[in-house]
Amino acid sequence: MIASIVDTGDLLQVIWVSLAAGIGVTAVYGLAIFGAARALDLGRAGRSGGATLFGALGVAAMAVVVAAVVLGVVVLAE
Amino acid sequence: METDLIVVIVVVTALAFDFTNGFHDTANVVATSVSTRAMSPRLAVGYAAVLNFAGAFISLEVAATIANDVVDPAAVGLLAVFGGLVGAIAWNLITWYFGLPSSSSHALIGGMVGAVLVADGASAISFDEGVLGQVMVPAVVAPILAFVVAGAAILVLYRIVGRLHPRPVTAGFRFGQVISGGLLALAHGTNDAQKTMGVITLALVANGTIAQADFHVPGWVVVAAATAIALGTYAGGWRIIRTMGSRIHKMDSAQGFAAQGAGAVVILAASKVGFPLSTTHTISGAVIGSGAAKRLSAVRWGVAGNIVVAWVLTLPAAAVFGALTYSVTRLFGTGAAGPLIVLGLILAASALMFVRRAQQRAPGQVPTTAEASG
Repeated sequence: MIASIVDTGDLLQVIWVSLAAGIGVTAVYGLAIFGAARALDLGRAGRSGGATLFGALGVAAMAVVVAAVVLGVVVLAE
Repeated sequence: METDLIVVIVVVTALAFDFTNGFHDTANVVATSVSTRAMSPRLAVGYAAVLNFAGAFISLEVAATIANDVVDPAAVGLLAVFGGLVGAIAWNLITWYFGLPSSSSHALIGGMVGAVLVADGASAISFDEGVLGQVMVPAVVAPILAFVVAGAAILVLYRIVGRLHPRPVTAGFRFGQVISGGLLALAHGTNDAQKTMGVITLALVANGTIAQADFHVPGWVVVAAATAIALGTYAGGWRIIRTMGSRIHKMDSAQGFAAQGAGAVVILAASKVGFPLSTTHTISGAVIGSGAAKRLSAVRWGVAGNIVVAWVLTLPAAAVFGALTYSVTRLFGTGAAGPLIVLGLILAASALMFVRRAQQRAPGQVPTTAEASG
């Protein structure tokens, strides 16, 4: 009965988008912090190779977060 | 001429409702950032006001739902729109005065349904696809979804950063809250300002200013609604800054980030498909979810209970007040006299309630979460 009243397509879209963006983007931001924090630790310990690697992870993850936010706002405004 | 005056009264009343919505909801939008010290109160409030304003321009789907899908715009008269709006304001004032949980969004829709039911009959209301499908089901789903998303997000975050030194992690999440808090303010402006746009557009259609076949939300309506909610947000920040962040549970910056992010994505996704949500309930669901995932006992479950009570109570109660307001307005005929008298009565009642509450409240005491519902 509910399925005939509610636009289940719209409702499911809200659910999957919220789960994907809410958990996915948050997790990627966590990776950005992880990368940055590890890069700092390794840099202080004089391990520049590892620091560069984790720094790159942090930057890449941050870029993904920014891209996701911009994409989300653009899609919403369409 | 007289109907134009009623339109002006409806527009001014709707913008006042929008202002109070922003005023109430400031706490929901900024308290998480303030309580985790991601931003200073002054910066957080100004930032939220600017993004509230910007958010109102992003989408018009929710406005279309309010103006088209809940009631039949072709069958609705101006006085019914006025009755619904003032009924919602009256219900909000009463719940604020007695500290009952409420939702401005649900009150607005309930008030409209009640007034239109009395004025134009049940055939003017879409109970199934409109009230149930577009309002009530999303109203139940959204806070639960925000709870689940925030809870899962915080568990994933703790798994990723749990063994790191806390200082860079806290700094990182505080920076993240600038992004997630901004998105939340944007989402709030998008969903809540559009409800006012929908009501004003409904009044313009009822007045014949906009043809139903040429349905659109005029640009000045968007700008006026955006300005009203942004000014309300800015004005409200100083009174209720601590409400959401610390009254539900003490949160760390990762929880604040997860809660704001979850609340923002649920509201933005719902706005995209035109679901008018209670932003307060959705944000509360996210805040509770981020706390419950860490430690169940850290959450003040009474607040969650208040939300359930508000779900059950607000729509029917506001509908009764909408119907009553319309009936009282009609006692003075179909001209502008009724709306002017009812508006005068509401203003007098509001002033009386504010004075009584100011006398009862001790200096420095912050309002309850129920008062900040929106």
